[in-house]
Amino acid sequence: MNGLLKLTATSSTFIAEEVARDEREIQPQQQGVAISIRQLSKTYPVALARLKKFFRRKATHPVEALRDVSFDVREGEIFGLIGRNGAGKTTLTKIIATLVQPTSGAVAVHGFDSVQDEVRVRAQIGLATAEERSFYWRLTIEQNLTFFARLYGLTDAAARARIGELLARLELEPLARRRFGELSTGNKQRVAVARAMLSSPPVLLLDEPTRSLDPLAAATTRALINSLARDADKPVTVLLTSHNLAEIEELCARVAVISRGQIRAVDTPERLRAVHKNAERVRLTARGLSMEAARGVLSGALTEFEVAEGGNEIVVQFTRAVEDDALDRAVRALHAAGGRIHACDSERATLLDVLEKYESEPQEGVGK
Amino acid sequence: MKRVSRFFGRLRAFVVRDFQLALSYRIQFLFRTLEILFFVTTMFFISKIFTGGAVTSYTQWTNPLAAWITGLAVLNYFMTGFSSFANAIRQEQAQGTLEGVLMTPVNIPTFIVSSSAYDFAQATVYSSLYLLFGWLFFDVRFQGNFLLAFLFLIITTLVLASVGILSASFAVVFKRGDPFGILLATTSTLFSGVFFPTQLLSEHGGRILGGISRFLPPTYGLDGIRRVLIQGQGFNEVREPLFTLLLFLVVLMPFSFWVFSRAVRRAKREGSLIQY
Repeated sequence: MNGLLKLTATSSTFIAEEVARDEREIQPQQQGVAISIRQLSKTYPVALARLKKFFRRKATHPVEALRDVSFDVREGEIFGLIGRNGAGKTTLTKIIATLVQPTSGAVAVHGFDSVQDEVRVRAQIGLATAEERSFYWRLTIEQNLTFFARLYGLTDAAARARIGELLARLELEPLARRRFGELSTGNKQRVAVARAMLSSPPVLLLDEPTRSLDPLAAATTRALINSLARDADKPVTVLLTSHNLAEIEELCARVAVISRGQIRAVDTPERLRAVHKNAERVRLTARGLSMEAARGVLSGALTEFEVAEGGNEIVVQFTRAVEDDALDRAVRALHAAGGRIHACDSERATLLDVLEKYESEPQEGVGK
Repeated sequence: MKRVSRFFGRLRAFVVRDFQLALSYRIQFLFRTLEILFFVTTMFFISKIFTGGAVTSYTQWTNPLAAWITGLAVLNYFMTGFSSFANAIRQEQAQGTLEGVLMTPVNIPTFIVSSSAYDFAQATVYSSLYLLFGWLFFDVRFQGNFLLAFLFLIITTLVLASVGILSASFAVVFKRGDPFGILLATTSTLFSGVFFPTQLLSEHGGRILGGISRFLPPTYGLDGIRRVLIQGQGFNEVREPLFTLLLFLVVLMPFSFWVFSRAVRRAKREGSLIQY
């Protein structure tokens, strides 16, 4: 495995420092790092194990959901988490969200420990899951959001203003007075995103935020996520869990691949793909020159290539190493011969290939 | 100060939410009011069987209707005390809304107390209706120091709330089948003197059966409230049940908070806090 991809276990320097009284008045202690995860492990114990043993019930085994997970998410970064069902994504998200306690290791959000300072951690986080049941179905969108805004400590005036802003941003204004139970699945999901953003938290945990959205609504949501992270004044850190790998590639600066409870790689999508397959197949379509002329100029620029003719255009195909200058040489050569590039496509490894690779590798058994 | 105002802000959020939810089921309030009116009317007619025949040694029961409606009004309040906390947890778990609430910076004790607040407000309204209908339609007169009766009500409710917190701890870990609520709900009606004087238990059931009522906080709460409202007794005469209730409170309240914190820690470790 490439050294770049491997996570190095860092020494346990992570210690949540003493905090002052009010969670919102406290400055982060680890500048630049929004979420810090250190040697995190989680094993779900067998519920009522002693009682089961006493009654001689067949013992089930504890479930090891996470093992020695370590990585950092930087401030203002959109960080993707990909893996199969049961890989440990939800457990990891819930530990960051303080809903589950780790067996060992630590999670800090802006310097606050998820176990020792759970209330302060929650003040830093907005969580949006695809779980529709986490709202009151008989209340309207507005009533639901007002209730949660008050729990976040917003005054009535601030809550009204913030809810109005979010409903407009997520195109939910016309539905504000509709009962939550009457909404479509996609709109329910948008309300969940709105709730996560109510208190303008510096960290957003988004679990498949576009799963049930139509293509246009999904694009709007993706644009919103992007704009949040790029906000120059107050960039929001986003931990995005999704099975939509194209979405992850589009949005995320870095991606962690989790498989059977272990982080297998953390890097940019480009590097992950490159390490998996350091070559891509390029297909150039050009007009304004003959096949022979193309063959002639390309032989000086590329070592191996194929040229075919189709109608009034020629198609050149070759394989190049990712980020080498073969494409540049080929384009220049075709231009020099009077050709006009009409189209350029490349077939590269995708995150799906990366995921499949890690899933197929043998590994010590961890997971549900 | 900031923390106190934040607590009341959150308490208000839960009360408004529950009121809005109750409004979406408007007809329920109407039927509950009618139910109380019918019940008090039924009690009125049953009490007529005893007209002139009540045993005078049971001083709180010379007017059985007054004793019954006091008992029912107070029992309604007590039931809320020991069931609402566990119900708050169970309901949010069952609805799936617990995750949403626990993702906000609200600590669990605040959540439990706040989400039960509307239940207590509702119980106050319904309990008042028992007394109101008795006074309005059936000429039941109450006397004595209402503040003292209210003090009894508050202390007994706090004692039962402690049992309620134990019950909620059970709901957090085991989800269903809470023994505290079931035990107290069933025994209170039989052994606490809601429908008949507790002395009858000893007279007809022996010392053991009669002794059970002594271990139940509602017995002292009901006795105190009836002494004040029906017999018109003052503070000096009701000191004994009052101090007994305070003793229950001193023991049960810290114990229940300790058990509850252990239960939450355990549920978080098992990852079952939001499961139902």
